[in-house]
Amino acid sequence: MKSMRFLTALAAALISAGLARAETVTLDLVGPISDYKIYVSEKLDKLVEDTKAFTGAVKAGDVARAKALFAPTRQSYEAIEPIAELFSDLDSAIDSRADDHEKAEADPSFTGFHRIEFGLWTKNSTDGLNSFADKLLNDVTELRKRIVDLPLPPEKVVGGAAALMEEVAATKISGEEDRYSHTDLWDFRGNFDGAYKIVELVRPLIAQKEEDFLKGVDDNFNRINATLSKYKEGEGYVSYEKLSEADRKVLAAAVNKLAEDLSTLRAKLGLD
Amino acid sequence: MRSRSRHSEAGGSVGNNHGRRVFLKALGFAAACPFARAAAANADSERPEPRGRVTDAPVADAVTASDRTPFYGVRQAGVTTARPANGMIASFDVVAESIDGLERLFRRLTERAAFLTSGGLAPVADPRLPPPDSGLLGPIIRPDALTVTLSLGASLFDDRPWLTAHKPRRLSRMARFPNDALNRRICHGDLALQICANTRDAALHALRDIIKHCSDQLVLKWKQEGDVPVLAPGSGAPAESARNFLGFRDGSANPDASDLDLMDRLVWVGPARDEPRWATGGSYQVVRIIRNFVERWDRTPLREQERIMGRAKMSGAPLDKPDAGEFAVPDYASDPLGKLTTLDAHIRLANPRSGGDKESLILRRPFNYSNGVTNAGQLDQGLLFICYQADLEKGFIAIQNRLNGEPLEEYIKPVGGGYFFALPGARDVSDYLGSALIAAVREGSSRTSH
Amino acid sequence: MPMRATFRNAPAPGGPSRLMPLAVVGSALLAVASGVLFYYASRTAIRSPAGPVYRVTVREKSCDPNSLVAPAGRVAFEIYNASNRTLEWEILDGVMVVEERENIAPGFRSALTARLRPGRYEITCGLLSNPRGSLVVEASAESEAERQKPPLKAFIGPLAEYRVYLVQQSSTLIKEAARLAAAIRAGDTDEARLRYVAPLLPYRRMDIVAGRFSDLKNRIDPVADYLEKREDDPAFSGFHRIERALFAKRSLDGLQPVADALAADVAALGARIRALRLSPGDICSSVERQARLFAESQIVKGESPYARNELVEFEASLQGMGKALDLLSPVLQGLAAPALALVQERRSVAASGLESLKRAGGYPAYDEVGSPTRDKLAGDFRAFAEAVAKLGVLLGPE
Repeated sequence: MKSMRFLTALAAALISAGLARAETVTLDLVGPISDYKIYVSEKLDKLVEDTKAFTGAVKAGDVARAKALFAPTRQSYEAIEPIAELFSDLDSAIDSRADDHEKAEADPSFTGFHRIEFGLWTKNSTDGLNSFADKLLNDVTELRKRIVDLPLPPEKVVGGAAALMEEVAATKISGEEDRYSHTDLWDFRGNFDGAYKIVELVRPLIAQKEEDFLKGVDDNFNRINATLSKYKEGEGYVSYEKLSEADRKVLAAAVNKLAEDLSTLRAKLGLD
Repeated sequence: MRSRSRHSEAGGSVGNNHGRRVFLKALGFAAACPFARAAAANADSERPEPRGRVTDAPVADAVTASDRTPFYGVRQAGVTTARPANGMIASFDVVAESIDGLERLFRRLTERAAFLTSGGLAPVADPRLPPPDSGLLGPIIRPDALTVTLSLGASLFDDRPWLTAHKPRRLSRMARFPNDALNRRICHGDLALQICANTRDAALHALRDIIKHCSDQLVLKWKQEGDVPVLAPGSGAPAESARNFLGFRDGSANPDASDLDLMDRLVWVGPARDEPRWATGGSYQVVRIIRNFVERWDRTPLREQERIMGRAKMSGAPLDKPDAGEFAVPDYASDPLGKLTTLDAHIRLANPRSGGDKESLILRRPFNYSNGVTNAGQLDQGLLFICYQADLEKGFIAIQNRLNGEPLEEYIKPVGGGYFFALPGARDVSDYLGSALIAAVREGSSRTSH
Repeated sequence: MPMRATFRNAPAPGGPSRLMPLAVVGSALLAVASGVLFYYASRTAIRSPAGPVYRVTVREKSCDPNSLVAPAGRVAFEIYNASNRTLEWEILDGVMVVEERENIAPGFRSALTARLRPGRYEITCGLLSNPRGSLVVEASAESEAERQKPPLKAFIGPLAEYRVYLVQQSSTLIKEAARLAAAIRAGDTDEARLRYVAPLLPYRRMDIVAGRFSDLKNRIDPVADYLEKREDDPAFSGFHRIERALFAKRSLDGLQPVADALAADVAALGARIRALRLSPGDICSSVERQARLFAESQIVKGESPYARNELVEFEASLQGMGKALDLLSPVLQGLAAPALALVQERRSVAASGLESLKRAGGYPAYDEVGSPTRDKLAGDFRAFAEAVAKLGVLLGPE
């Protein structure tokens, strides 16, 4: 019987080593995807809370306070932008710019953060902004509700890191996003934090096989952090107009390289 | 399913254009229509002869500067004509406060277009005067397959009470679709000219000539030039659609321009349509300047690119028939869940091929454009999308509404363009473009087509 | 006669080099061992038209046989209780419960079918204090075919969403367990009675998963009947111990360490939940298992003899099961639309069966629910479990 037990144990050990533990790469993603969903939920909670305070200041006519709250409120949105963009109607209502609309600032479909920004900075007033404030709060609340109920597609989560870099490269690096307030550096911080979060969550899955790749990615993030930190002011950043031409190029190049590298992330994780 | 031309005895099946062309080449013509000889010889032909599939890639040695596309005809050239390597849209505001003024403009435009498209000696004058011709093409103006297609915008009619009643029924000012970021500086216009030629110089020469001659009545608003990749000569491969800046073949599902009955149904306004009588022989023209985010596209996995489009990149084959050619027709009925071609693939949304009235088809005739560099340091490149249809609402507008929200929207951004109505042709030398419209206004005739 | 399994020389992903020589040597041994083991196993398997049934006799202090070998896939067992105590029988993968049968009365047999992946398992043998047996499950042609199935990519989104749900329930559980412990520490019996249900409900919503960590389950949710000394057993802890103190004895004596231990255990559970990897097949079989437990013992017997709040617990449990199914539905639609429709239909019957017992002020105490009603409810859950089982077949052992 002893030999029987030995054989059983040996057989069991070999079986469990070779077969029972065969894990598919794809199920490894469940943890990071769900952690990301939790991150997104937390950001959305903060977004709604901050937007309440921001729009409250607008409706109270407190221009100074509204201006102070504008950029920090947007950071939560900027961190999760690729997920927000899954709902293009809300993304458009919350975050579109004047040049997305034919009549620019005068277009009635120009609403959201930048419409309020336009009033606050170019007119230095909250006049006529009440309805936009109400709509913005409704829209971010609706956005949270929709996302909470949405299982996040894994490709969108992982692809979101590259998508954030594409956003910066295409439309933000030129300072056109917050063209009235010049608070673009705050937005950058949100975008980079959001991208980095995704990398951090999937890092354990590829750390062994992709050491060089991750080192390159980390180097670029470090370069970005080092450059941005030169412009820190209090909890946030100075005006985009203070960004030197040299530093803008450094950021642009780092962002482009990150876009290139992060565009391979899905394939490295076995996602289409 | 695309209907077959009733003149197809030379070629037969869908993928056999090569056969047809070879046969016709043996007749001495590169045209797709077996009646080409008769048509070419007769400048008064009922229908301008379409040469080859409209969106085929031009082949380098198959064209010469002497190529002449007949200008006169019941329909204008440049619509079902095979697209040459270069083209542009130039949009103008019109200064014409009376019917006489408008007639004068149309006659002059016709005169210039007729001359430029047939070629001849460049006019000369006393050297103390500014030269009448830019000299861009030298002393002899070769036609170079030039076409000049004249079309009118809604604002021409809307701003002139004596013209409003004669506006084509479906002509409207282009309205924004959800993904649009329209720049008013490159949108709309009273009048547009589509100028195409084998070479860019011939097209630019024509533009400069017209601007110079009509400067009192035409004020340039915007223009967008474009071109398409030209294939190397003598490769012997079957004709293929030219590629766009996303690297994909563009025009695979284009209706067959040599199928004249089809063109009558899809492209040309006919007497049976609910349109003003003068509009018979015209066509609705849609221009869309669509920026492509090419850097981002180039960072997208190939398989995803193909999934977004619904075709294989290199061959152009539909994804459910990967070994077929570009012109194979996808079979969506066998793929109801979109496992082979996703339900939101570009080609599937644009044309669900569900048959019957649901099929809204357009004739595409685009060019690729490459302008400069954006403020963000990215390439300003994209598609100068041009299409023709007999019914604007059932054509482009219906299709674009189906496309709203497609995954491709991450990579494209329509920024300009407009809706225009391409006039019927000038029948012969005694006629001029827009004559039927002028006559209708003068007669004060009603808008109905009966 | 089960097909002789063939072993593939497949190296474990991510670390082939170390195992390869071992596997090469091992496969030769396995070829011999498998023949021997199969012979041994075949002596314990009862041949039936549906395939072999593995019969286990549970005695006072041991099981016979105490060592089993079975092929991967659906494996049928028959448990015969030859002792004089009511027992449960479990298949364990480490601390995870893979399958179990509760409430097997003395002299009775219970049939059990488990979907097993290749691996080495333990089986409990009657009373929890008895030594455990072993179950070796070998790769079979069926399990290898399953392994070749297309990747589970489509499930990642829903599985992630389900994990988020579990993590959220777990957070609530931890928070509420801490508040309950605080009330007990403050010596406030009334407050403690009010706070009792708040952590219980999120735990029940996580039932299908939480109940599989046998070590934690035995501390958080042990049922007195399966313990040697029942209520007086030192291992009687967790919710039911607190329940008895608050609702039967109405005294907080000695309860503080129990409440603190519960708070610590649910925190540990939270960490396990975060680390847990579930496949769709796991979830399906967990739902089936839980529904069957309800049908076969918990509904008829009742589980909370002191507070008698079973109905609100069953409702929470069913909510949790429903959430899991709802999240998997969109992906399963393509594979298994009719099976899924049946599951949702039966679930809806069970849910409205429960719902119909609600009164103006909420659910009545369970002792007011008579046998006929309990039997009907049990029947609803049994039908639900059967529908889930059918769905599970389509998902395979993964």
